[in-house]
Amino acid sequence: MKKITTTEPVDTEAPVDKPPFFKSWAGMYWLVIGNLAFLILLFYVITRYYA
Amino acid sequence: MRPLDWIVLLGTLGFIVVYGIWKTRGSKDMEGYLKGDNSMKWWTIGLSIMATQASAITFLSTPGQAYEDGMRFVQFYFGLPIAMVIISITVIPIFYRLKVYTAYEFLENRFDLKTRSLAAFLFLVQRGLAAGITIYAPAIILSTMLGWSLTMTNLIIGVLVIVYTVSGGTKAVSVTQKQQMAVMMGGMVIAGFMVVSYLPENVGFDDAVAVAGKMGKMNVIDFSFDWDDRYNFWSGLTGGLFLALSYFGTDQSQVARYLGGKSIGESRLGLLFNGLLKIPMQFLILFIGVMVFVFYQFNQPPVFFNEAAKNKVYATPYAEELRGLETRHTVLFQEKQQAVQGLVTALKSEDEAAVTTAQGKVAALTSAGKQVREEVKELIAKAVPGSETKDTDYVFISFVMKYLPTGLVGLLLAVILSAAMSSTASELNALASTTVVDIYKRNVKQHASPAHYVNASKLLTVAWGVIAILFATFASLLDNLIQAVNIIGSIFYGTILGIFLVAFYFKRIKGNAVFLAALLAEGVVLFCFYFTDIAFLWFNVIGCACVVLFGFILQGMIGEKAKS
Repeated sequence: MKKITTTEPVDTEAPVDKPPFFKSWAGMYWLVIGNLAFLILLFYVITRYYA
Repeated sequence: MRPLDWIVLLGTLGFIVVYGIWKTRGSKDMEGYLKGDNSMKWWTIGLSIMATQASAITFLSTPGQAYEDGMRFVQFYFGLPIAMVIISITVIPIFYRLKVYTAYEFLENRFDLKTRSLAAFLFLVQRGLAAGITIYAPAIILSTMLGWSLTMTNLIIGVLVIVYTVSGGTKAVSVTQKQQMAVMMGGMVIAGFMVVSYLPENVGFDDAVAVAGKMGKMNVIDFSFDWDDRYNFWSGLTGGLFLALSYFGTDQSQVARYLGGKSIGESRLGLLFNGLLKIPMQFLILFIGVMVFVFYQFNQPPVFFNEAAKNKVYATPYAEELRGLETRHTVLFQEKQQAVQGLVTALKSEDEAAVTTAQGKVAALTSAGKQVREEVKELIAKAVPGSETKDTDYVFISFVMKYLPTGLVGLLLAVILSAAMSSTASELNALASTTVVDIYKRNVKQHASPAHYVNASKLLTVAWGVIAILFATFASLLDNLIQAVNIIGSIFYGTILGIFLVAFYFKRIKGNAVFLAALLAEGVVLFCFYFTDIAFLWFNVIGCACVVLFGFILQGMIGEKAKS
């Protein structure tokens, strides 16, 4: 098993492979949050329309 | 069940099990067995995450929930996409960098061995009990509806899962979950089309949704704030975020899914895939429940969907009273059927006054029908003491068994059993890996060959599987067992989340402080459990908040002592 030595959270900013369609991961994160916002808006419209 | 249903059911389940074993044959070391050789692509991870969360109860209960309460349950998942983003940014890179097999390994890196062992132990107790319930909950419903033996149903689900989970480890769990998700979603979409096609000729899809709306079932979103209301926008966004962070960030049954990714990017995409699709998936399942509700406005539903429980009343002196209630229910249904047809006509004519009048009439008859159903439930409780009087879990399976054609019944049963198997497989795999990596390898036998640990993992998967089957088999002997397991889960979950929250976000707090804080927090939660009336769901919040608060206080005290 790997020797465990550090006592602090490790650096989370090391480079990782790029996401599809976007230049950075921030774009992917905004897509997920934007999709949530869109769904909430859509659900609001559905609720109002069929009430 | 007809022969064709059996062929579809056994063929589907058999194919998934055999495919899982064949596809993952030859996993020899721990890397391969517990992390699938880090070879999984994002779509496998995403589907695996979704399949792990979607248990059989999701497919049995959610349509029933919509039948009873409308679409608003979907709000419960609003916090999930945000949790997926937070975990992708903070948790995944740390787990990858440390090359951990389990989430609890990270805690030794950040704190110390005792904190890691404590969190692993709490997880094993909680998830060990939950695995039994994951098998028992669908088994009790299927055995009641189909007349199968409860023990046999438990055994079928349990043994099938053990076979491929032992054989292929984590990779087998993820690979089979792809097929299981395809069966689950394919089956549900077909069921949705079928229920719409069964509506009367003069009632189109638009009319069905409009009728559901006028009867209060299209209540997807509610922005009003109410502490007592479990499903509204605010509780879904905050409580849902809290729950999703605990479940996806600290529960090994989910952590193992994305730890098997080919790279950080693949794991992130898998989680974000879940963040994009989870809400639409729940919306679809709830919407099918709403369509079943509309279907039952034109076709008489049973007065109580758990027919087996109802039939027991006929063997008691309360039989005559039940017959009377059933007659009242039939008369009310016939009146309501005409009123709903009137509502459809009014909606088509776009005459608002007529719509309002028809809507009022339907609402009054619905209320009267609900009253009869309540009386039936009271009668069942009186006639057969200890009977379950909540029948929403039986709404969808009752529709499937009674109205779907031969072949599709088998497919829908395959959906439910696939869901049970996918969740159970993840749980057994997580229980075995945590026992081996965090307890056995770290505390009992540190230096052994990789083959030894793989064999230990296989043996422990079987052992946890047998415990789960035994637990599921004897579950019916205990009263309120599901509630008891939920309470036990809530007693431990808050403390585990608190430890991880401190680990990720409060760098000042060190090992001794967080360990003592976790023990104290657990004490506070146990005090609340034994000596207060606080609802058990709040134990999650109390446990988590106490770990953070006590952690700060104790670190301050320990730090001062060290300085002096």
